Amino acid sequence: MCLFTNMPEFIEKYYSLAELWKNLPALPAARKYLAGGTDLVVADTCGGENSECWVDISDVKELRVVKETRDSVFIGAGLKISELAENRAVKKWIPSLAACAPYYASPTIRNTATLGGNLANASPCADGVCALAAAGAFVLLNFRGKRRKFPVLAILNGPKKIDLKKDELIEGFLVPKWKHRAVFLKMMPRKLFGIAKASLCLCYSGEEGVLKELDMALASVGPVIIRPLKTISLLKGKKLEADLVKKAVELVKTEISPITDLRSEADYRKEIVSVFLERALKEVKSK
Amino acid sequence: MKIFKLESSINGKKIGKEIDSSLRLVDFIRDTLGLKGTKEGCGEGECGACMVLLDGKAVNSCLMMAVQIHRKNLVTIEGIHRHKYGKELQKSFVKEAAVQCGFCTPGFIISAQEFLVKNPRAGLEEIKAGLSGNLCRCTGYENIFKAVDKARNKSSAKGA
Repeated sequence: MCLFTNMPEFIEKYYSLAELWKNLPALPAARKYLAGGTDLVVADTCGGENSECWVDISDVKELRVVKETRDSVFIGAGLKISELAENRAVKKWIPSLAACAPYYASPTIRNTATLGGNLANASPCADGVCALAAAGAFVLLNFRGKRRKFPVLAILNGPKKIDLKKDELIEGFLVPKWKHRAVFLKMMPRKLFGIAKASLCLCYSGEEGVLKELDMALASVGPVIIRPLKTISLLKGKKLEADLVKKAVELVKTEISPITDLRSEADYRKEIVSVFLERALKEVKSK
Repeated sequence: MKIFKLESSINGKKIGKEIDSSLRLVDFIRDTLGLKGTKEGCGEGECGACMVLLDGKAVNSCLMMAVQIHRKNLVTIEGIHRHKYGKELQKSFVKEAAVQCGFCTPGFIISAQEFLVKNPRAGLEEIKAGLSGNLCRCTGYENIFKAVDKARNKSSAKGA
């Protein structure tokens, strides 16, 4: 337990975007959004953050919906991970999220944590962001109704660094519909409830060992989550022969830049990613 | 400090209270409500000692702010006996010696309550995964898993 607390002076709570945009200008300049709270509350409790005011958006109705259109699925940034894991449209169209959910923190943190918070925290090991990136997701930002849309990794600048304008809100994610399967592999210090030493998410379509379409994302092996573009390009449209797999598992190691820290060593992380890719491709071949 | 007018249901009883808006949920439960069954261990969401049910879902009260339970139903260990599995879990933890120092016990019972409601036919491995957000430094876990399994069987047999 931390002995030095540094909580905000006060918290304002809103239930809709209209209410939020109306009241925001009157709040102190040093303010932050509070979604699930699983990162922010700890950071503040331990004195790592210092904001005068938190704006509680955990019950803003527009951030708590899943909407399906002909071409895409919109996921509200305020939905809890456990809600997403049980959602019918998510299971059908974003299998990477469903595959990552059992390894995402603990069952009880999944009841609180949100995908929006997972991106806003800008951690290189963010499981949910890794799954979204592999599914080809876009992030939708909103500031007083003015929206911007980017590929989900495009707004990440480094560990804990994210490109958001003042008061800009992560409203949700737009995930294109493409029929695919997903593999999510994560190496942790223990079997469950751990921060990744490395993880890999592969989304693919195809049959008889040919990868018609694929995308991939890697976590905890660089300053931000990485899409290994050369490896993706090498594998796309090809039949998974032994030589190709061998080339891919070597190539992927050249596209990452892991560090040695308290959780793992750089060389070990490179080997994990290589082994994970081999395992994922083996699974693809078996389907 | 700014006052927030909190309305909520706590263990089935509706309350309206003026609170400091920047109060964490665990502090509200223990210090404002005086419900000391909820413990604070790590204060970082790792140990699960502070677990409570919010609208039926187990959540770490050290990671939430009190304002986040506004207009919602909160159940702490003091009110768990009114829920399916709750009373059987409490009895089973005692009978199976799943309690040593007892600090983690309320959190385990809360997590087990939500888990069993969602997974009434769960096997041992699923129970282990379902309780992976709770730590115990005394028992070695085996008796805890056994207690949850037995409580589930008893509740199911009773059709409780």
